[in-house]
Order: sequence, then structure tokens, then C-alpha cells
Amino acid sequence: MANTVVKIENLVKRYKELIAVDHFDLEIKQGEVFGLLGPNGSGKTTTINCLLSLLDFDKGEIEIFGEKMTPTNYALKKRIGVISQNVAVYDELTVYENIDYFCGLYITDKATRKQYVDEAIKFVGLEEFTKFRPKKLSGGLLRRLNIACGIAHKPELIILDEPTVAVDPQSRNRILEGILELNAQGATIIYTSHYMEEVEQICSRIAIMDKGKNIALGTKAELKKMIKNTETVSIETAQPEDSVIQQLRELPHVYEVSYNDGKLYVYCSGGKHNLIRILGVLQEKDIHFGRVYSELPTLNDVFLEITGKQLRDSE
Amino acid sequence: MFRHNFKYDILTTLRVKEVIIWLIIYPIALGTFFKVAFGNIYDNDIKFTAVKTAVVINSEQNGKAFRQVAEAIGQDDDAAFSFVYTDKDDALKQLKDEDVRGIIFVDDKLSLTVASNSLKSTMLEKFVEKYNLNAKIITDTAKIDPAKIQTVTQALTEEISTVRSQALSKGNTNMYDQYFYNLLAMVAMFGSLAGLHVATHNQGNLSPLGARKCISPTPKIKTILSNLCATFAVQAMCMAIAVTFIITVLRVDMGNRIPLVYLTAILAGFVGSSLGFVIGSIGRFNESTKNALCTASSLLLCFCSGLMDASIKQKIAESSFAWFNKVNPAAVMCESFFSLNIYEDYTRYIQCVVTMIITVVVFITLGLLMTRRRKYASL
Repeated sequence: MANTVVKIENLVKRYKELIAVDHFDLEIKQGEVFGLLGPNGSGKTTTINCLLSLLDFDKGEIEIFGEKMTPTNYALKKRIGVISQNVAVYDELTVYENIDYFCGLYITDKATRKQYVDEAIKFVGLEEFTKFRPKKLSGGLLRRLNIACGIAHKPELIILDEPTVAVDPQSRNRILEGILELNAQGATIIYTSHYMEEVEQICSRIAIMDKGKNIALGTKAELKKMIKNTETVSIETAQPEDSVIQQLRELPHVYEVSYNDGKLYVYCSGGKHNLIRILGVLQEKDIHFGRVYSELPTLNDVFLEITGKQLRDSE
Repeated sequence: MFRHNFKYDILTTLRVKEVIIWLIIYPIALGTFFKVAFGNIYDNDIKFTAVKTAVVINSEQNGKAFRQVAEAIGQDDDAAFSFVYTDKDDALKQLKDEDVRGIIFVDDKLSLTVASNSLKSTMLEKFVEKYNLNAKIITDTAKIDPAKIQTVTQALTEEISTVRSQALSKGNTNMYDQYFYNLLAMVAMFGSLAGLHVATHNQGNLSPLGARKCISPTPKIKTILSNLCATFAVQAMCMAIAVTFIITVLRVDMGNRIPLVYLTAILAGFVGSSLGFVIGSIGRFNESTKNALCTASSLLLCFCSGLMDASIKQKIAESSFAWFNKVNPAAVMCESFFSLNIYEDYTRYIQCVVTMIITVVVFITLGLLMTRRRKYASL
């Protein structure tokens, strides 16, 4: 069984009256790409900052690699790499100098450091920009530099706190591929985001946070199994009569029907051939329709069903 | 580790535009302006120079006595008069050409010709009157009581010595030099901007850079100290450039204790940087607010030390806030340059230096105490 890399027990962090992290528990195993998913303000970054001993917390225990994390546990800090959502580089230093500077805070041997810096530059694909200052880089390249500064020292645990905010799709894909590559090289990853697609794409296990609480935890499949929904059928059509909606509700495996923005949504729980039955009702009532979609549940559906709100509505 | 941090701290500090502008370009520009604005006022209008006077000797006997008196008055830099012995035609030509302020004709008595009324021509008139009076006293004493002639001559000789200009010190009393002292103080105070970055770039709750450093395995005290050392080094370099420019290019007379002027300037730079460090360490304002606070305090302190108006310093000294300029770093810096240039004695200078050292120690200690925190209540 894999070793536990991060263990958080009963973490509580308050900002006066506001409870930012509310009795939060978490255990992350070695080699995992662990996703911390939640809307903005759900407590993800606060949890990460408590984990790194940057923030004081009111209650709880935090262990990393089996040791208690404290601000002066420098041996432990050496094994961690952090990529924050705010780009933290010196505007006055070049790409190479920035990576070398931050790597130097971890690695004292000059030759090793040079090798690590070169590898980090290659890893993020900034070979052509080593002499550029950060202000000359595009948003995507800047994010890659931020990542290189966080991973150059080859940490065993890498924490990425919303690293793709304000990044173009091409750079985003490259970043996500890079994260999987780091994981393949042996690093344990903690990835926080409010983009469910990203978390679904790369994370092996996911915790969903809302209002500082861990509301769901498991693999993608486990999380999706937690909810009633197994399929959502959406149909572009004019507003149907109430009788039609009622007839759809009475179909087997259908548990909810709604109409929004020119689309009829039919939510199904289990069963087969739901789409055929639904379209059959519409044809029987001579209702014309446009495009039809059948979607499997997403993490957003999980979040919606548990909290009653959309992930993005909460932002 | 220290060397690694120090190297990059030097690079980042040197590449901050504000450092180049405020600590190198600004003092050169303002110093040049001061020189253009005030440079010749003192030499032309305020600095005292000997009254150049032509002397035409028509009586050899009296001429000999006059030469003796002239020698007694002195012909060096401190002399009140500078005599040129010539004939009448040449003397009149020199007076016309304004090469001399007046002509003294030595006959039985002295007589004087001046071109216009001025302070210097009045001085010449007084000198001639006094000479004639003393000559009469000696002549009369020789006639009436020859035994007292030596006593009278001695008394009159002592009186002559007072004609020499009396300096309070060996230093340069050009009051416009005060502006250059203030300029150096201002450069030192603007070093607070570099000191400010030391605080903000090392605190996890003030900048992402600070947070990144806080989560690294390098102890905070190490990064702060290497950062401070780099800031001090850059500040020392900027102060040295400013002093060198003022002395060698603008040719401002900073006295004859130049190595001490450099050391004082460098120490002043440390005061400025540590002021920035302490301002950066206070509270949780964002970096631009702290920048504004730093600039405003530097300007206010420089204003009180007389940078914008020299009379302000005097007004503060006469008010019930006289104590303020004794602790105002900018005023203490100016005072140290002034003391070094003016007074032979080191007492006032040492007081200023001790005040600056205490200021640096207090500011850095306070800053370290405020930034020592390793965990924050909020980020």
C-alpha cells in the first residue's frame, strides 16, 4: 500500500466570524494526482496555505511525509514544490536567473543546480526565452516560468494552486500534460482548481470543497456514483405544454424534467434507451425539435446535486 | 547560500528603475541644477576677497613706512587688502579698467582715489583714515615723549593685526553648500525605496514573492539579511557616485576630509535603506501604498532638514519642535556633512555619526522583529 504523503485532520481556519476551513480531513497517497475542486472562496487556497505552514490555523493536525509540518521544518520544505495562482517571479531577473534563484533556495550545489535549471527550462519549453525578462513573456509563458520556478528542485510533492487561471487553451493543455509527466516521474501532485474539466482530465482522486468543507471525496467514478443522475438529455425545442412535461416525468428512470433557455432537460437515473423513449414522446405529441444531446454526469452535476448550485454559479 | 542570495539581490536591486532614477540620475541632475543656480552667487556676491588697491609712492620715506604696515597687514589669502605698487598713470588706468578698487597716494599723508562708492571703497577710506591717524599719533609721540614711542608703536601694531580677516574655522563657509549636503541626504533617504522592497519581498502576507520565499527551506533571517546587505551595497555605491560627482564634476568644496565625507555618505545611505525596511515591515498595506508612504516620509524629512527652503531648518530650531531635527535622519545627515566641513573639532560630527548608527540599529532591529513572523493570520 502506498505511503501517505499528506494527512490533514480536523483542520479549522477562521477569519473572525467566517469559517474558511471547517473541520477538513484529507489523506493523499504517494503517486496520486489529487484534485481539490471547489468554487472560488470554497477554502482550497486557505487549506493549501495552512498545509504549507504559511497560515496559522485554529485547530487540526497537518503531517507531510509522516512529519508534522512547521515553518521551521526546512528538511520537509525541501521536498515540496509550490506553484501558486499568483505568478511569483522577479520582474528584474531573466527567465534563467529567476529559475536559478528559486532553485538556489533549495539546492546549494552549483553544478547540480545548473543541471536542474536546464532540465526545468526544457520541461516547460522555455529554451528560446531564457534571456527574456518576465514582462516580455505572454501570459502562458509566464505561467510556465512560474511552474519552472516551483519544480526546478525536483520536489517529491508538488502543489499547484490554480496554475491555469487566465491561460490560453494551448498553454493550458501543455501545463496539464506537464503535470501528468511530473507525476509519471514520481511526484505526488495536489492540484486545486475550479475548472472541473481540468480536474476530471488529470486527477486520479478528487475532493470537492464548498464553504470550507470536504463535501465529497473519491475517484471520478466514485463521485459520479454518489449521485442519482446517470444521463442528462437536452433537446432544443419550443416550450412544451405542461402535459408533455408530465408525460416525460412519468417515463421510467426519468426523475426530473425542466425547460430553460430554449432547451428541454430530462434527467435520468440508470436504465437504458432513455433517449429513444424521450424522443418517442415528443414525436407522439408532434413536437418539432432541433439538436439533441445526451450527456453523462460531470463533476458539476455532482456538485449541483450535493450543494444545490452550479460550480460556476458559486464563483 | 548567502552568496547566491546576495548575488541575485544585487542584480534585482540594480535593475529596479526607481533605484537608477532616484539614486543615480536624480542627484546628478539636481546637483547640476544647484551648481548652475547657486554656483557663482557665492563667489561673486558673498565670498569676501581682498580689496585690490594700487599704491603710488611719491615720498620714499613715508613709502618705506607704508610698505612695513602693508606687510604687517599681510598679503596672504586672509588679507583684507591686496596692494599693487605702481606709478600714477598705470594706477589710473587700472582704476578705470576696474582692475583695482582704489588708488592710495603716499605723500606726507595718505590720500585715496576711488571710482565709486561701495563696501570695499568704504573699507579703503577707513583704512586710509586710520593710517593717517596712527601716523600722526606716532609723529606726535616722537615729538612730545620719545620714551613712549615703543609702547605706542606696539599698541598700534596689535591693532593692525585685527585688520586681517578672522575665520571661525578652517572650513568652507559657503552657505549654498548646504543644498549639496541636503541633496546627499535626499539621495540617502530615497534609498528607503530599496529598503522597502527587502521587507515586502520577504513577507508571505505582502507579496507572492514573499510567500514563495517563506515556503522555501531557506531560513527567513538568511534571505532578509542577504537582501539587506545587497541593498546596503547598492546604496553605498549610489552614495559614492553622488559624492564623487559633487566633488569632482561640480567641484563643490566638501572640505579636506574627503574619506570621511564618503564614509558619512555611505552611513547615511544605510540610514535611508533601514528606514525603508522598517516602513515596509509595518502593517499590511499593499506595496504601492508603502511606496507612497516611503516617498512622502523621505520628502517630509528632507523638507524639515532644509532641502526645499534653508530657512525651514532655522524655523524648526527656534520652535518648540527643535528636538525633531536632532532625530530627523535627513537633518542629522546634513549636520554631519556640515560639521565635517566646517569644524576642526570632531565633537559635533561624532554626535551625528553616533545618532546615525543608533538609527540604523534601531530601524533594522524593529524591522527584523516585525518581519520575523513565520506564519500569518491571513494572506
